[in-house]
This record gives sequence, C-alpha cells and structure tokens, in this order.
Amino acid sequence: MSAVLDPDKKPDPAETELPPQFNAEFVAATRKLEAEWRAKFDAIAQKFGVDPAAYRLQTDSGLPIKPVYFPHDVAEQSYGMLSAPGMYPFTRGLYPAQYQFMRWANQPVIGYGLPEDTRKRMDYLQSQGMTGYFGNTFYNLVYDLVSHEGIDPDHPAAEGRVGQCGMAVYTLEDNARLFDGLPLDKINVIHISYYEVLPVLAHYLAYARRRGVPWAKLGGNSMSWYYQSAYVGMTCFPPKAGMALAAELVSFCTREMPRWNTVNIFGYGMEEAGATAVQEVAFSVAAGIDYARACVASGLKADQFLSRFGFQISQSNDFFEEICKIRALRRLWARKCHELGARDPKSMHVRIHTHTSGSVLTAQQPLNNLIRTTLHAFGAALSGVQAMEVSSFDEALAIPTEHAHTMALRIQQIIQEESGITRVADPLGGSYYVESLTNQIEAAAEKIVDEVESRGGYHECHDYVRAQIEASAARWRDQIDTKERVLVGMNKYESSEMQDIEVFRVNPESERIAVERIRELRARRDAQRWEAAMAALDTAAMRFAGGEIGGLIPAMIEASDADATTGELMGVLKKHLGWTSPY
Amino acid sequence: MAERIIRVLLCKTTMECHDRGVRYLATKLRDAGMEVVFINFLEPREIIETAIDEDVDVIGVSSSVEGHLPVAREITKRLEEQGIGDVLVVFGGVIPERDVAPMKEMGVKEVFGPGSSADEVIAYIRANARERSFEVE
Repeated sequence: MSAVLDPDKKPDPAETELPPQFNAEFVAATRKLEAEWRAKFDAIAQKFGVDPAAYRLQTDSGLPIKPVYFPHDVAEQSYGMLSAPGMYPFTRGLYPAQYQFMRWANQPVIGYGLPEDTRKRMDYLQSQGMTGYFGNTFYNLVYDLVSHEGIDPDHPAAEGRVGQCGMAVYTLEDNARLFDGLPLDKINVIHISYYEVLPVLAHYLAYARRRGVPWAKLGGNSMSWYYQSAYVGMTCFPPKAGMALAAELVSFCTREMPRWNTVNIFGYGMEEAGATAVQEVAFSVAAGIDYARACVASGLKADQFLSRFGFQISQSNDFFEEICKIRALRRLWARKCHELGARDPKSMHVRIHTHTSGSVLTAQQPLNNLIRTTLHAFGAALSGVQAMEVSSFDEALAIPTEHAHTMALRIQQIIQEESGITRVADPLGGSYYVESLTNQIEAAAEKIVDEVESRGGYHECHDYVRAQIEASAARWRDQIDTKERVLVGMNKYESSEMQDIEVFRVNPESERIAVERIRELRARRDAQRWEAAMAALDTAAMRFAGGEIGGLIPAMIEASDADATTGELMGVLKKHLGWTSPY
Repeated sequence: MAERIIRVLLCKTTMECHDRGVRYLATKLRDAGMEVVFINFLEPREIIETAIDEDVDVIGVSSSVEGHLPVAREITKRLEEQGIGDVLVVFGGVIPERDVAPMKEMGVKEVFGPGSSADEVIAYIRANARERSFEVE
C-alpha cells in the first residue's frame, strides 16, 4: 500500500491532499474563458426561446449540472482524492492493473425450474464463454420465491410459484442435482437468496462436506439482504434480528471460510425499488456500515471481515451519473471504513457486481432493451467494476430464454474484447464533468448517510429509507406519465407493430416433481436423526435469539445433513427470530 | 353532488419483491380520493378475509413472477361463495398474454400489463366498481 495509508493513523492530510490541481492564475484565466463562452451560450439559448437565467439542467438524481465544465470546476479538489487505481481512496478503481490482465467476471443470473433445468443453463452459458476470474467459472444462481419465503414447495402458498423466478432447490439432495460433477473448489457460487440465507448456505456446506471439499476452499457469496425489508414488501425478520443473523454468518465465515463473501450490499435492489443514484450510494453505505458495526460489536475487528463485504450495484439510464456514482461510492465507502478502523486496503474496497437496470427495460418493443443494456454495461465497464450481470432483453416479460441469455453474455464479450476500452484504467478520470459530478454525488450521498446515522443507523430507520425511496419512485413514474422522461417505445415512438419474440415458460411439470421429491424425501429420510438434528437446531436458535453467537450455523449444517428442508430450517428461525410464528 | 368513496384492497404476495408498481398505484388511488388498504399476503384466503373485514369494492392483485392463476382462481371462487361476487377483481404486473383469457373466464375483470398508467387504472375502477351503500357530500 502507498504512503497514503499508514496502518496506524488516519490518512495524513499532507499525504492524501496533494496540492490543488491548478494554480490561481490558471483558474482565473479559465473562469474568464467560461464567462466568454457563457455569453455565446446565452445568445443561442435566446434564439431557441429559452431564458438563459432560468435555464437549469439536472441529472436523473436531481443534482444540478452545467452545460459544459471547466478546469476551475475541480480546481479546489486535491488530486489525492482521486489518487491512482488501487490506491486509497480508490476513486479510480480498486486494483492497480484494473482490466489489464483480467477482465471483469461474467456473472449472468441463472435459475429456473428444477435444479437439473438450471444446471443445463449453467453448462450452456459456460460453454458460451461465461468466465469468472483466473479462467474459473462463476455461477450466479437465484433461488425461487418459495425458497425466499422459507416455505417448502408443498405449502399451499407455493402453488404456481415453484421454480418461478428462480430455481426449486430446497435440500441437500437438490444441491447434488445442481452441482454434482462441478469442481467446488474451483468454481465460485453466488447464492441469490433473501431471508433464507443461512438454510441455503447450510445445504451447500453439508453437500460440500459430503463431496470431501473443505469449506475453506469454497468461493462464493451469501447475500444477507435482510436490510431489504426497509424498501420492499417482503420480510421474515425484524431489522435487528436480520442484522444479528448477518453478523452470525460473518463470524462463522471469518473462522471457517476465508474465501467466502459474507455480506452483499444490494444497491441494485434499492435502485430497482425507485432510489436515485445518490440514494443508492447513500443507503448502500449506510446499510454497510450498520452491518459492519454489528460485526465489530460481536467481537471482530474491521480488518478481519470487511474485505469479504461485496456490493451489487445498478447501472441505469443516466450514463455519466451512473459512472460517477460508482466512483463516488468507492471513495465514500473507503473513507467510512477507514473511520470504522479498517487499515488493510482490501477492507476498504467496494467490490462491485454490476446488475444492469431491469426497471428501465420495457415490455414494449423489447429488442430496444438490447441497446439499453449495452449502454448500461458499457458505462459499468468505464467505471471499472469487478463483475457483471447484463439483464436480458426479455426481462420485462419473463425469465430469459436461452437466446436472450446468450445475447446478454455477448454484450459483455463484445465490450470486453472488441471495444478496446479495457486497455486504460479509469478512462474518464480527469474529465472535468466526471470529476465534478463524482464530487457532487459523494457530497449529496454523505449528507443522507449522516441523516441515517443521526437517526440511530440504518436498522433504526427503515421507515425513513422507505419513504425516501418511494418518493423517488413516484417522481420517476410521474415523469414518465407526463413524458418529461422518455422511454422509447413506451411513452414516445410507440408502435402498434409487435416485435414477435419468444417468451420463456418454466416446464409446468417442475412444480409437481418438486413437490413429489420433497414428500418422498421426508418419508425416506432417517426420522430419528432428523428429529435429533432439528431439536438441536431449535435449541441453538433459541440461544442465538438470547444473544449467544456461534452455534446457529453449525447446528443448521447438521440438520441439512439430516435432510432438513429449507422450509423446516426457516421455520425454526422464524419461530425464534421472526415477526410471526412459523408457517 | 355526492361523490362516492371507493374502497380498494391492493395486495401482493410476501414472496415477491417487485412491489414498486403496486406501491405507486396505492398512492395514486389515494390521491384520486379512494380509500386504499395494502397488504402482503402469503395465502389467497388472507385477501378474502381482508376484503370482508375492510368491506372493499375492488381487489387489485399485483403479480410479476407467476403464481397469478391459482390466486385468481381461489379469490374469484371464494368471493362467489361469500356472496360478494360483485367485488371488482383486477390484476396488474407481468401477466403473460396467454393467461389473460383464462383469468377473465374465472371472473377477473381486467388485467393491466407493464406500461399501464395509473390514470387508466383509476378510470377503469371508477367506471366499474360496484355502487357504494354510503356517500359523502
């Protein structure tokens, strides 16, 4: 690490804050130049019938911007706040080499139907060049809604939802159907779950143990998205219980699974719920530091666990704001983690998996979405993220077809291998506009973080977060209805001509088979062993609810090994930690 | 001129995170002078229980990730059983075109797909909600 960060002290202003980029004489000259330009600009505005004095521009987040930027717009900024790629505060990227020797990882979201169906798509995309780091494959797997809710497929509420919007995986045996034959110590598995984080991980760990793969060799992610209950209407656990469960996972993985990513900060979900870019940065940082504090309170040191926090961030329509958002997030998070006591550079990294926006994709003229997602992916690449999921063009209609999934992967590959933009790190760095907007976003987001902190931290102000995000969502939608915001094909350039595309449908037999499987497993499993393991889990969960850390996950792994299902494991968690009694 | 107040139950399964549209609609219906009850349900019977408790004229179900057919079947059947088949049932969200006709056969009156505006929904409800037993001046 550079001299910028002495492990034992705060960054020395003399080191981080290099002198201003431009001297006073130069700045005075560029200000004069701007005045001259402004006179010409105003004259043109008047020709268009626009009053120059009243003329205002803003980003999609509502930040005021100028029609053109000059050196003096960033003259006050120290170059130390930009620094270099791989150096604090990481504005220009996390790694000194960025994409020189290794591109970002392709991480398309996969998951539908039975585990065998999902596996087929995994193998297919792998055969099409889906590549993670060091040539290994990353599998970004999403569980179905039944699993998210923590019920089993034969629950009455599961009807019509099994294997929809995710894969029907509920047991250790389902893990075998999904992963048999894959080298668990080489692949990286992202388990996209919501409240069933621990049951899903417990199944995977019990399965890995049977395969003889040490947990320490497993790479991948758990999502721990409990804080999502602030802004979406699905919730199994009250905020404090969710945070405790997240801290338990961090504590377990710190001991047993050094390669595992323990917490995922889901800015994407905030943006999809309506948050602006500024709010996405702010609430991501606020949720992250709240969870980090809970881990510190459980006895860990910042540098022991923060390097395993990851971020999933949206890339949406306002091209430059979305790029600057990433740069501002990297800097703000680094600064906040330093305040929390982090000194290892890795503990201050915002490792970003970009998910290109789904909410701006349209059902009307769906092929237009290929162009939108290309712009999103291009912006994410320019901002230097670590991994990418590009939404498929049929996103607004259904789960992606194989064709749509492949096109989304091709978008990444064309940008990676044809456009040449991976040659230079932070290619937009130094743009007066980009640097100025990065500063604006950081300042606006930090103000919101301060507000959340003054309300007792993220877990204490779900109502505030929800109200802010909902207000933004309403504004966005109003702007579409009034056509102030254009969505081509939806509120402008509409066409009655249909683009005839194939719409994916999950095999309707999946549900029946999943239900049969789980009933058959319950009848076949060793009942005594299951009962003993579930009783032990019940005790562990009760103790955990009483504040005892460390015993919950091991007990859940043993129950998984005794063929307990996701619904059964979640039932125990809901009983001791949930809002309501188990279903 | 007396204006009737329309009571609307909007709902979405707890399983689904795609609730941006229905939350937006809730505020728009409220702004349009309707009384709105919003719930997350696990089982369809919860919709019926709430509809009866709250004496609503309209049930709007949001669904973006399948599961809409069993819900539509269950609630239309139970409304008939309860003798309140005149409650207007509408769906919104991502509903495949092929499912719209079967849903209408069950008794769902309208399905609003992606891109529908709040104004369309408001106008539809005003035109089709059952007459209320009370009015305000």
